[in-house]
Amino acid sequence: MVPHDLPSVALVVARLVPAILVTAVLFVSKRSPFAATSAATSAALGLSVVAVVLHALAPGPTPRGLVQLDVVSSAMLLLVGALSIVVVRYSRTYLAGEQGLVRYARSLLLTLACVTLLVLSKNLALLVVAWLGVGVGMHQLLTFYPRRRQAVIVAHKKFLLARIADLCFFASLVLVDFEVGSLDIDTVNAFARASSGLSPPLHLATVLLVFGILLKTAQLPFHGWILQVMEAPTPVSALLHAGVVNIGGFVMIRLAPLMSRATFAQGLLVAVGLVTAIVGSLVMTTRASIKVVLAWSTIAQMGFMLVQCGLGVWHLALLHLLAHSFYKAHSFLSAGAVVDTWRAGSLVRPRRLALRFVGAAVLVVGLVAAPFYAAFVLSPLHASPSLGPLALALLLSFVPMIGRALAAGRRALALAAMSMVGAAVSYFGWHVVSEEVLLPVDAGAVAPVAWWVVVAGLVGLFAAQTILHANPAGRFARALQPHLHSGLYIDDWFTRLTFRLWPPRLERPASTSRRSSVTLEAR
Amino acid sequence: MANADRRSFDDVEVAAPSGARPSSALEEAAERACASIAPTWPLDRFIAVNPFWSRTDKPLPRVAGELAALSGARLLMPRSWFAAEWRAERLRPEHLRAAITASGAEMKVKHLSGLLRIEEPRQSRRPLAVDVMDARCRRELEVSWRDYIMERVSRFCASYFDDGQAHVRPVREGGLYASWRSQVEGDRGPALFMALPEIRSAVASLPKSADEMLTVAAADLGVPPAEREAYFQALLLDINGWASWCAYLRWNARLAGRDDHHIRELLSIRLAWEWILFRAGGEELRTDWGHAVASWPTFDRVAQSARAEDWLLQNAVEIAWSSEVRRMLAEGFAASRPSTPSVQAAFCLDVRSEIYRRALEAQGDVGTIGCAGFFGVAIEYTALASERARPQLPGLMAPKYRVTDTGVPDSLEATRASRLHAGHAWKAFKSTSLSSFAFVDAMGLFFAGTLFGETFGRAARHADEHEAAGLTPAEDAARKPRITSRADGAPLSREERCALAEGVLRGMSLTRGFARLLLLVGHGAATRNNPHASGLECGACGGHSGKVNARAVAALLNDADVRTDLAARGIAIPEATHVLAGLHNTTTDDVSLFDEDAVPATHQRELADLRAKLERASGAARRERAPRLGLGDLSDPDVHAAMIERSKNWAEVRPEWGLAGNASFVIAPRERSRHVDLAGRSFLHDYRFQEDADFAVLEQIMTGPMVVAHWINFQYYASTVDNTRYGCGNKVLHNVVGGHLGVYEGNGGDIRIGLSIQSLHDGERWVHAPLRLSVFLEAPRAAIDGVLDKHPKVRELVDHEWLHLFQLDARDQTVFVRRGGVWQPAPR
Repeated sequence: MVPHDLPSVALVVARLVPAILVTAVLFVSKRSPFAATSAATSAALGLSVVAVVLHALAPGPTPRGLVQLDVVSSAMLLLVGALSIVVVRYSRTYLAGEQGLVRYARSLLLTLACVTLLVLSKNLALLVVAWLGVGVGMHQLLTFYPRRRQAVIVAHKKFLLARIADLCFFASLVLVDFEVGSLDIDTVNAFARASSGLSPPLHLATVLLVFGILLKTAQLPFHGWILQVMEAPTPVSALLHAGVVNIGGFVMIRLAPLMSRATFAQGLLVAVGLVTAIVGSLVMTTRASIKVVLAWSTIAQMGFMLVQCGLGVWHLALLHLLAHSFYKAHSFLSAGAVVDTWRAGSLVRPRRLALRFVGAAVLVVGLVAAPFYAAFVLSPLHASPSLGPLALALLLSFVPMIGRALAAGRRALALAAMSMVGAAVSYFGWHVVSEEVLLPVDAGAVAPVAWWVVVAGLVGLFAAQTILHANPAGRFARALQPHLHSGLYIDDWFTRLTFRLWPPRLERPASTSRRSSVTLEAR
Repeated sequence: MANADRRSFDDVEVAAPSGARPSSALEEAAERACASIAPTWPLDRFIAVNPFWSRTDKPLPRVAGELAALSGARLLMPRSWFAAEWRAERLRPEHLRAAITASGAEMKVKHLSGLLRIEEPRQSRRPLAVDVMDARCRRELEVSWRDYIMERVSRFCASYFDDGQAHVRPVREGGLYASWRSQVEGDRGPALFMALPEIRSAVASLPKSADEMLTVAAADLGVPPAEREAYFQALLLDINGWASWCAYLRWNARLAGRDDHHIRELLSIRLAWEWILFRAGGEELRTDWGHAVASWPTFDRVAQSARAEDWLLQNAVEIAWSSEVRRMLAEGFAASRPSTPSVQAAFCLDVRSEIYRRALEAQGDVGTIGCAGFFGVAIEYTALASERARPQLPGLMAPKYRVTDTGVPDSLEATRASRLHAGHAWKAFKSTSLSSFAFVDAMGLFFAGTLFGETFGRAARHADEHEAAGLTPAEDAARKPRITSRADGAPLSREERCALAEGVLRGMSLTRGFARLLLLVGHGAATRNNPHASGLECGACGGHSGKVNARAVAALLNDADVRTDLAARGIAIPEATHVLAGLHNTTTDDVSLFDEDAVPATHQRELADLRAKLERASGAARRERAPRLGLGDLSDPDVHAAMIERSKNWAEVRPEWGLAGNASFVIAPRERSRHVDLAGRSFLHDYRFQEDADFAVLEQIMTGPMVVAHWINFQYYASTVDNTRYGCGNKVLHNVVGGHLGVYEGNGGDIRIGLSIQSLHDGERWVHAPLRLSVFLEAPRAAIDGVLDKHPKVRELVDHEWLHLFQLDARDQTVFVRRGGVWQPAPR
């Protein structure tokens, strides 16, 4: 085979991935709903690997067309392929005996086909259409139990938000097309690179785009839906949190050159993302049920990812997206094991993280980290401006761990210190990999003040969590806990608004029925 | 009178110091309502409970009517289920006839069978103030007040009682009500979300203490004094999950000789919401509420009569099963005590043991014994380095003795503790607000490996990794759990140890005829990623595997001093008898043996022989269980592999069927039932009344194992007939609350008690048929009556139709049934 044909062969193979998934929809049978699904996802993962390998062998310029395969889409394709195979195999066992599995399998395939098409899109219009398809498929999955009131109310809310987001995207596309004359992503990015600054319509387009993404990525104040979609089976939650909610981040990364010049949109990302990350991660620590905790965690993590986008550290955003996906998929799928974790954890009680331990931990972490940090900064590989603030955030991150271990004694501290070193090596290791392999850094024109805002926000978060943990019965905790626990009422307000604007149509519940559950009546 | 006063004084001790004390009548109504809620155990020790345990003082059909009126509960299957039994000819005209005869009703069989063609009437429950509010607001398009209040109260309770999930909790000082009040005062949610700004002023004037709340609400809401108790019950049933949790706290406190009043405060909170709506709802609501209260007696009357005749159908289905068992057991009347085999194996009375015991006995020269799975020793277990003891005994009892890990170097304790602390520290990195971001960046991608490992590489996974947390496999295997002290830490005297051993042996009616090998088999389940895993473990061991109990008791019985003293008490264990501990894995039907190195060289041949027999028996038991798991078509090795796979698959929601199908309990020597295939539906307890001089063992069995079996039976019964209220719904939506407290089904709502749909239903039909327990007891009728008279609570179970009690009379070769307090020959 002639080497310069390889990229187009890779593309052909890649195109097969969504094609196979969508074709499999036709072969879902009532007798074994997951047979075709399982085969199709296995084939999709196999083809994805082939396509990615072919592309890696001959990384050439992408031919013209609607799809493309580069490092970003390769990574995403593999991610989606891996998740889909895990989710399908899980569902096959987990949902055995449920009603409506044909609809489930078809919606799952449709969703996955659209996600793969989306990550391969080279054209913004195709991307937006694929995203719409993801939404449609996801809506079916989230209302797997159509008789659950809560599920229907939430799906309604999500539906409403999705349509607003679609409108934003559509308007944004029109503006981009009007300004650039093309919706081809490379053309748009090239246009942005060539221009010194964006025109007002393009600024508006990027702001609209970012606004739509904030809606779809469950950012405050539009986050409520993702908290309440636990009314669908666990693997659906896993897919949503690991493979769908983060699409917004992927789109930002895809349009990095354009976004790097969109100062207003970037500012919006940093502002909303940072607030969401801070509020979300604090609320997360006040909630008592595992899936709700995981959902708040997703909200916060998505906020963090968008902050990274807003700061123009695209490679880190992509790393975070991928890492979060695997982590969150695992967290959801293994959510039943928290009782086992509790059993193991309840053997010895964790020590209270008193302030003196926090102080000592800051010292310990600083001392341990200093040489590593110095070595890393001095190494010829890295001189990126992001390093300082990120390292600071990482060091503060280790403080609770080291503080706990300090409180527990010398040997626990030794073990924790080893974990810390391991985690730090891994942290910077992945950064190196992402910086070298994943993406050329295209920081653009991020104002240094944004970095300082983010650092200040994270240090503030550290202070807040420290006070909450060190003195849980104190004035600060007492005042804050109820409001945090209620998610600062943002969703109450928002839901009320949606009800007023567009009330959901629900069957009137029978006077005796409680929260309706699946009722399996013997016939 | 003086007595009553003292009691109410004691009960108020938890209340805030200020405020009006409720009148003693009001107080008593609240207290009785609280006492009507049965406890539910947390997920790490999820033992079975009869959710109507506090209501057995009334006949079951009447309780069903009361609960239907109070909460809309359904305590019978829909008629379509009975109709299906009829069509399948498991329910036949003679059963209906027998049921009609037994009830003394004037009715023809065809009238009863005609009922099968009519759909059961819809049940309506008494309206509460929230319902009046809902009806008035006509909010059918949105979240109802009822759902909303349930959500708010439940979410608050989850945070308050949380044990290990959240880092930041509401302040607990001042108690549940005070904490709720301070929370709700600042809560802008209700006014905003439900768009009722008047709520804020009502909330602002909430009384300071739970008792004051009770008094104020009772005065304002105008519920007639005679209706108060029922009203309070209805409120608690509206939040039955958390009420059951509070009842558990009280149950535990009382076992330990203390008391707990969370349930009273929960009642006040739920009552407070009624009061808030009443205050905020305006004049119109007040009028409607008055009418609603006046209508309550009508609801009661309708609910009592609605399904009265259906209970005959229920009885008939039970007669269909019990007459079958009766017939088969009667064939064993002639059987005599078998000679001593070379191996005796004692199993838990669990229905799953029945299948295995039959399979093992079929291997020849093996005798099996059924007894309580904790072998009658009330222990708690403090694992190595553990800061807390966990009870390994039935929920009815308080632990008396402590088992600890021996056989490992002392330094291992500190080593394990520091490893566990390091684990906590790592968790802080993983889940604290700020560090959760860095954690994802550093560790997130490694989860790709874990995901694929769980999906494709299950061979390396283990079901109970948490047991060995902080230990290497070698360190874990070296641990030898032994009874080392009393529960209060005081040393155990030689005499006490001997008394314990004597209790074990008399409890299983094994006082002579010892085989050379005596195997004590505990049981446990192996499942992964299953919040209700402990529900499949040994209930008699507190929802844990029976491994620790079996090992500790086996060591006790091998103790030379104990044996010497036992001989003096009339139980001579031959020197040639060695006691061995084992564990029956009920998910895979494998049996593993422990402390094999302690088996003397003289017994090695028997040991090898036993291992071979166990392996064959496991295969046979698996073959019997395979069809129900959908594995009937596979070859033996494939069935084994598939069962192991199920036990390790993190997505498996039906790893095994647990105790589904349980319907009878045979308390008799094994020779009565040995020839019978009870299809894994029967509990079995060995008992020889001839060796029980003062019927102390009989009393112990009837007040212990029989009650526990009834609890299990009714957990399954209630979860099946009304899964919404007494079961925990669909497993694929489960959301664990507070680390281990219980589950939500989905996003929120009440915390759920009981069993999941997946434990009862295979997707097409109910695997568990809700039948009340039929107990077959071989003991003199007078002795049984003696125990019943001594224990009114147990008598109520029998006389109020919570279970059916049969007596096996081997001398007359007749089966008697106790009905209405009188024994009569059971009709053939």
